[in-house]
Amino acid sequence: MSFSMAGEEDFFLEEKKFKQYCEEFVKHSQKIRDGWEWRTSKDFADGYLSKTHFQITNRNVPPDLKEKNNDNVEQTLFMHVEESLDDSQVDGVCATAEVIRYEYHVLYSSSYQVPVLYFRACFLDGRALTLDEIWKSVHACYQARLLEGPWDTITQQEHPLLGQPFFVLHPCRTNEFMSAVLASSRKENRQTNYIASWLSIVGPVVGLNLSLSYAKLASEQSTDADVT
Amino acid sequence: MTDDKDVLRDVWFGRIPTCFTLYQDEITEREAEPYYLLLPRISYLTLVTDKVKKHFQKVMRQEEVSEIWFEYEGTPLKWHYPIGLLFDLHASNTALPWSITVHFKNFPEKDLLHCHSKDVIEAHFMACIKEADALKHKSQVINEMQKKDHKQLWMGLQNDKFEQFWAINRKLMEYPPEDSGFRFIPFRIYQATTERPFIQKLFRPVDSGGQLHTLGDLLKDMCPSAITPEDGEKKTQVMIHGIEPMLETPLQWLSEHMSYPDNFLHISIIPRPTD
Repeated sequence: MSFSMAGEEDFFLEEKKFKQYCEEFVKHSQKIRDGWEWRTSKDFADGYLSKTHFQITNRNVPPDLKEKNNDNVEQTLFMHVEESLDDSQVDGVCATAEVIRYEYHVLYSSSYQVPVLYFRACFLDGRALTLDEIWKSVHACYQARLLEGPWDTITQQEHPLLGQPFFVLHPCRTNEFMSAVLASSRKENRQTNYIASWLSIVGPVVGLNLSLSYAKLASEQSTDADVT
Repeated sequence: MTDDKDVLRDVWFGRIPTCFTLYQDEITEREAEPYYLLLPRISYLTLVTDKVKKHFQKVMRQEEVSEIWFEYEGTPLKWHYPIGLLFDLHASNTALPWSITVHFKNFPEKDLLHCHSKDVIEAHFMACIKEADALKHKSQVINEMQKKDHKQLWMGLQNDKFEQFWAINRKLMEYPPEDSGFRFIPFRIYQATTERPFIQKLFRPVDSGGQLHTLGDLLKDMCPSAITPEDGEKKTQVMIHGIEPMLETPLQWLSEHMSYPDNFLHISIIPRPTD
């Protein structure tokens, strides 16, 4: 693994390495068909990872759903939505199901030398979600951490390649938590894909989950690749 | 050194005479007169237009007023860009005053960031300063500062207090005596004609031989097509704070003296007027 080391604790990601990890990541995504693709800017100078998915949200989620496995959440939510609609007709309580289109982009920040997660969300009629609605859609177990941890502050910013408003997970503390992750894998001489590790940590905060198969990604490569 | 300090003051106190006109389709109870204002080049539209908002809201009904936004000749103006940058990029070779149209409806969600309070402007401003210091000093100087110093930078900008601002900002302009300048120069190059909003990359103030990089070196590296004349005639102008600095100017000097308060050099490449 090559990183530019400013000190023992610094694990900055060079742009070339960013592109390589993204390439590996997309190859795996194509294998498991979970929708990630690589896009380039019009001048082909820069690129980014992109994925769009639809999510069904039900504000009145029954408590037992929170314990369910992530892989089944969407399907279970949908089923519960149908049930509760019937119940609500009886009880007179209103439960609404909404479909939201999420678009996630992973870009490289040359200033902080880390990847950055950009995203936007809109309802099917095209209405964009407000920052407030984005906050509310974050899973309950991350809310407290979101409120106190500056590294996962969500703000609205201009997408540096498209020039359009996106929400961003602030990148300035990425190095801190990635150091811990990478230091331990370094000790065990285990190769990792920086993007897969990073995204598995920051993604869930904003409703983006990675299949566990991404963990196998690097170990598949390390059997053939040179150990750096 | 007195001359260099004068540059800092000239940059800080630059103003653009502007005429604000209400969009014709806005519903008013009586006719809305245009509002004239001298806009500070170094500030942000939503930070300095409270009076403009109040003026037009006086002739409108409460229910017709939603989030304010500004437009110039059909282009929504990004409030998160400094005013001087917006003017240089879109209107620098047109007659003064700068004519801006004011809207209170149909906020262009796909083009503009929301700005519901001054806190949003402060957060954006401080994020830019932090990013600039990440480039200049690996964030060491900004992180060593206390919260009250960060506040002083924002208050200095908000209240147009040059001395208050520079008392803290001068620390962000220093570098170790053994170095020739910052680690990397915080800059962004804008061209209204591209989809990409700006070019920003890592660029050192000195070359491998220790020679100071110039503005021309930066442009040659980042957008050569914009400055090399195709047929001997220069088709573009390179503008910072309304002037065309000589391409031989050392980039380190420009970064120290002609950055905006957010510590970035915002450089516009615009078509050269043909007259």
